[in-house]
Amino acid sequence: MTRLRALRPALGAGAAGLVLACFSHPTVAAAIVSALGETPRRALPLDHLGALALHHLILAGTGLVLVAITGIGLGILATRPGAASVRGGIDTLAAAAQAVPPVVVVALALPVLGFGGPPTLLALVLYGIMPTLRGTVGALEAVPAETREAAKALGLTARQTLTRIELPLAAPAIVETLRTALVLAVATAAVGALAGAATLGTPIVAGLQNQNTVPMLQGAAATAALAFLCDALMVAAAGLLRR
Amino acid sequence: MTPATEDRRGGIGPPLFAAAFLGAVYGLPLVRIAKNRLVVGEPVYALDGLGALPGFGPEIEAVAGLVLGAVLLARIGRTRIGVGAATVLLALALALLMLALGSTAGDLLAGEPPAARAGLASGAWTALLLLAGGLAHLARRMAVPGLGGALAAAFLGFVALAGSTGTLGSLSLAIEFAARKDAVGEALVRHLLLSGSAVLLAVGGAVLLSLWRRGQGLVEVLVGGIQVVPAVALLGALVAVASGLLRAVPALREAGLGALGPVPAVIGIAAYLLLPLWRGLALALAAPDPATLDAAEALGLPPRTILFQVRLPIGAGILLGALRVACVQGIGLATLGALVGAGGLGGIVFDGMAQFAPDLILLGAIPIVALSLVVERTLSLAEDRWRGTPA
Repeated sequence: MTRLRALRPALGAGAAGLVLACFSHPTVAAAIVSALGETPRRALPLDHLGALALHHLILAGTGLVLVAITGIGLGILATRPGAASVRGGIDTLAAAAQAVPPVVVVALALPVLGFGGPPTLLALVLYGIMPTLRGTVGALEAVPAETREAAKALGLTARQTLTRIELPLAAPAIVETLRTALVLAVATAAVGALAGAATLGTPIVAGLQNQNTVPMLQGAAATAALAFLCDALMVAAAGLLRR
Repeated sequence: MTPATEDRRGGIGPPLFAAAFLGAVYGLPLVRIAKNRLVVGEPVYALDGLGALPGFGPEIEAVAGLVLGAVLLARIGRTRIGVGAATVLLALALALLMLALGSTAGDLLAGEPPAARAGLASGAWTALLLLAGGLAHLARRMAVPGLGGALAAAFLGFVALAGSTGTLGSLSLAIEFAARKDAVGEALVRHLLLSGSAVLLAVGGAVLLSLWRRGQGLVEVLVGGIQVVPAVALLGALVAVASGLLRAVPALREAGLGALGPVPAVIGIAAYLLLPLWRGLALALAAPDPATLDAAEALGLPPRTILFQVRLPIGAGILLGALRVACVQGIGLATLGALVGAGGLGGIVFDGMAQFAPDLILLGAIPIVALSLVVERTLSLAEDRWRGTPA
């Protein structure tokens, strides 16, 4: 029962995701477009949409895994006692990285890595690392100093303090950071359509170019649906951890 | 170990900086020589000039020496003079590196056909970014008001001077810029207009939303939910809805509105800015402690006076912080505006992507990044100043 209650905050985002997913169905999207007074042109078939969604999810998921490994790893390193001088630089660097929008990262990676998935993946990782690193540092720094002292007094080694005390206490906040990173990853993967990656952004970009409203609407609804469902998943994970 | 001893030893920051700089300058290519503007060229490394091949002279070693000197000064002399001297050395290194890149690019292109291009490569970009970041860090440590701005202005002046004398003219980026000077200026103005009007619209929206006292829970869900929707999807959906709306109400089309263009872009961008602004407004209004408000009421001040002379001045720092976040986000999101035909610097970036021309992409990207950094610094300085002098 308590487990179910922990999942409740995820319900809103999950429901929004499911409703939007219905909007992306070819029949529904065509109906919406004709309700807007336009004679609907060719809709994107369901299997094609599914393949794009899968590719989108794989791209965003791979990006998230890479971001989580590097961001959390570097965050742990930065909070070790020897690295105090680097920590001020992290905030500056994170603020500077925020000044570079994901589109620009995708665009800059394009000449280096060519069209398709790789530039998008690079943008995903570059854009996600700094917020994750900063969030991890914040989460670990929020562990009270007394708790750390107590662990030391109990005779735990630095490694044991990290794995048994600091990380479990910081876990909910780190998952919250990863939630933001996943939503960012889904959005950046959509932008990757501009660099030729086959994602749910592709029908949007193509639809904007040749004025075809139905696939544009399908892509938009499906991308948003995916973002909401991923968000719901992470909210649920955070809820279960915090229980 | 106390933070104080940590700080005196300088930590691992400066050596890490020096190692990254040397690695970038000597391990990565500095320029690439290509047959034309669209292909990725052959890399030229810092040490290529040592042999019989044409390449970099001893300037790069001088730059490396200056950087090492700056790092040592910043590490040994913790005094203001030491940091100041390190700042000067880094600034010299930046200037010398740019001159070396520009003149070597000219030398390397000397025997090539006119279509050949010399573009800055990964090593040069990394080194330039490290130097700029190091300078920003030192300027902050000096804590001299206006030093960061003065350094940035000096850098721009140096680039303009070196550009006008033609020293940097051989670099591909300079050639792209010379070909599109007017278009870049126009796009910059349009970008500012797009993000500026989105911020204004969002400020209005956030004020209206926070006036609806009973619906704050719903507002939070909606405004937070928008953040989850990817911008590309929201813009696409807005265009779809706008074209339907225009068909239903043809008078709108006659009023000069279109399904594509700045209108959906500004609305879409503004939607994302609602969250920081609305949240900032709520926090700012809650900032004064109840005792202050009670005192103001006891003095018999009318609610309007309390709002404008007590609540808003006390919360102004928070409001400025929210505005800073919204402005930086707005400048970034306006890049996507070009997707729905709104123009702006994003248009140059997308043109570069379509042509696969790296330097054209940079020509759009550099002003976007510079614009966000300038806005971020300016507003956070204003924020600090306001918080430093309590009203």
